Amino acid sequence: MDLDLGPEIARFRAGLRDWIAQQAPDGLASLADWNMAPTGGGYRSSDVVDAMDEPAYADWERRLAAARLICPQWPEEHGGQGLDAVRLAVLNEEFYRAGVPRVYRGMGEALVGPSVLVHGTPEQRAHFLPRIVSGEDVYCQGFSEPGHGSDLAGVETRGVVDGDEIAVTGQKVWTSGASRANMMFALVRTDPDVEKHAGLSYVLIPFTGPGVEYRPIRQMSGADEFCEDFLDGVRAPLFNVIGGLGNGWRVAMTTLGHERGGMATVQHLGYEREFWELVDTARKYGRDTDPLVRQQLAWAYTGVQLMRFSGLRTLAEVAEGRAPGPEASVAKLFWSEYHKRLGEIAVSIVGADALLRPEGPGYPTTAWQNVFLASRAGTIYSGTSEIQRNIIGERALGLPKGPR
Amino acid sequence: MRLTVSDEQRALRDSVRRFLADRAPLARVRELMETPDGLDRAVWHQAGDQLGLQGIAIPEEYGGAGFTFAEQAIVLEELGAALYGGPYLASAVLAATALLASDDEAARRELLPGIASGQTVATLAFTEDDGSWAPEAIRLAASGDADIWVLDGHKSFVLDGHTADLILVVARAGPGLSLFAVPAGANGLTRRGLPTLDQTRKLARLEFGSVPARRIAGDGAAVLARTLDVAAVAQAAEQLGGAQRALDMAVAYAKTREQFGRPIGSFQAVKHRCADLLLEVESLRSAVSYAAAAVAEDSAEIPVVSALVAACASDVYFHVAAENIQIHGGIGFTWEHEAHLYFKRAKASELFLGDASYHREHLAERIGV
Repeated sequence: MDLDLGPEIARFRAGLRDWIAQQAPDGLASLADWNMAPTGGGYRSSDVVDAMDEPAYADWERRLAAARLICPQWPEEHGGQGLDAVRLAVLNEEFYRAGVPRVYRGMGEALVGPSVLVHGTPEQRAHFLPRIVSGEDVYCQGFSEPGHGSDLAGVETRGVVDGDEIAVTGQKVWTSGASRANMMFALVRTDPDVEKHAGLSYVLIPFTGPGVEYRPIRQMSGADEFCEDFLDGVRAPLFNVIGGLGNGWRVAMTTLGHERGGMATVQHLGYEREFWELVDTARKYGRDTDPLVRQQLAWAYTGVQLMRFSGLRTLAEVAEGRAPGPEASVAKLFWSEYHKRLGEIAVSIVGADALLRPEGPGYPTTAWQNVFLASRAGTIYSGTSEIQRNIIGERALGLPKGPR
Repeated sequence: MRLTVSDEQRALRDSVRRFLADRAPLARVRELMETPDGLDRAVWHQAGDQLGLQGIAIPEEYGGAGFTFAEQAIVLEELGAALYGGPYLASAVLAATALLASDDEAARRELLPGIASGQTVATLAFTEDDGSWAPEAIRLAASGDADIWVLDGHKSFVLDGHTADLILVVARAGPGLSLFAVPAGANGLTRRGLPTLDQTRKLARLEFGSVPARRIAGDGAAVLARTLDVAAVAQAAEQLGGAQRALDMAVAYAKTREQFGRPIGSFQAVKHRCADLLLEVESLRSAVSYAAAAVAEDSAEIPVVSALVAACASDVYFHVAAENIQIHGGIGFTWEHEAHLYFKRAKASELFLGDASYHREHLAERIGV
């Protein structure tokens, strides 16, 4: 069953569907499984990365840019269409339905843009946002440090103001996409003498050139998507400090729950596809008649559908203009814990065969082995499950803060 | 499909909640649960006369208010939150749905108006002594022909079976199943209320010794399947109401109860439990909204979402009710505190109509696994 979002949204959907049908380059949809869950910590993402080098992708990117369909939720003056959350959700649904990529600008789109939009000066918005839309600036995140993961406000990387520049020195870690980035958005300590939250600034640092070094960290899955980064006196103009010196905590927290509703109705789709692949696997191994396996499969299907129902309900509430709730933390906690369990179920269904990896150098794994291993990261990155439970407990239930 | 609560639905929720707080508060629930039939007929009739609750989802042509199942789900949620012990699920859901799903227009016109007004308390008797919820397990035999039928056998686990004025019985008639209507005073019918784990929910055993019955036209197996699907969604709405209330109790206590000089809700061991429960209750709320919309629209998805929401509601309500006791500590284990009433209702709801595993197996089957 579909939500009834009214005739205006229905027209918007129909127009978009036509546009995609006319404009999508031949063969684009079959280049990669574009819309697999992006949350497995790398499951199949190498196929997608390779496909992004194909001419059809570049062609599609150009058409999307011309139609203002890259960062379409941003205001028109900054290259988007100012789409509201409902239209953005419809757009995501239609792209998924057609099997074509959305062309995300990654963390620049999801995290930097909203912070600059809310806290940047008009000059900063005019400078930084179009460069994200065009793909000229690709961002990686410089938040976590070796000594500061969940206790993010304790970061020690120093930002020293020197004339009209800021010089950044320190170590960051768990940076994904470092090799593709030319910019880093970082939380740095500009005043060590005040209360820890008050001494932070949010700065956009050039991530190329002297003083920048990064090294991949090999993960338990064998992949090396994350890096550790060493910044040694990396200079950026003071213009690149968003929200002013000492205001970094507030700027960094802007994006917590900012993106509400846009992905709500599509984020289950990758998991749904994955579920049916697991059913196929169970059949192939003759396990689909085992009552325990049937229970596990029904549990997994329920998890996927609960994501779908919750997404629909969130979107319906957004469409009626209701105030944001704790959906972002609830959704993150849900899918990350779900996916770990799914990985465990998958390797147990495969059984003895899951003891063996494919031949080859390095540590190649089967798809299910990769889900099993890579999904462990989901409950750690972007705020651990424990941090999400604190947020839910304190913001949604109003429970008192504990000792920090 | 609509998944949000409209202003009219919010007003309905408020009026049902006020009514129950006033006329059926937990103190009254405790008094009634100690009685054999657990029913205050005056309050039951007020619910019908003043609020029209029993007939809310029954079409106007049969004496109901003609709202949809989405509105009925809101009523059920409030009844579940209040642990209301009257025969609402039995009469306004099980019996009414069975009649509506039948092919018997005459029976609908004759029997539904009484159910809709609350004048008639009806129930559906389908389970027998073996406690199986599967239609294949039905043994009670109907014999006769077009006009005169008699029922021989027994039924058990019949919701409010000893208080109902009208009993709809699923019986084996020849090769298939059929639905029969039996008035409470029928010759040869013996009814006995059973002692229940959850005292707020009454069950009965019925014996049929050549009881004359009226056959309700329609395929009994199809009627029963449809009725059980709808009833599972209805019960899930009740379970959602109970789970939300138990969570609210746990959170309120965690904010005020102090140990080691601070509220226990500030400790992550308690806070994180509450956060997990919120996630579960919110997920269940989304599922119940969707399932209620599916029933309201008579969607083809009903069999799948019914099995899904039944399993989900059973898991969630029991988990919340159990954690509520743990978070309350010693006081939560006393007879005096309400926590055990929710805990017992949670388990009783889980076991009635089949437990979570039973529904998950149905779900696997229905999605083609």
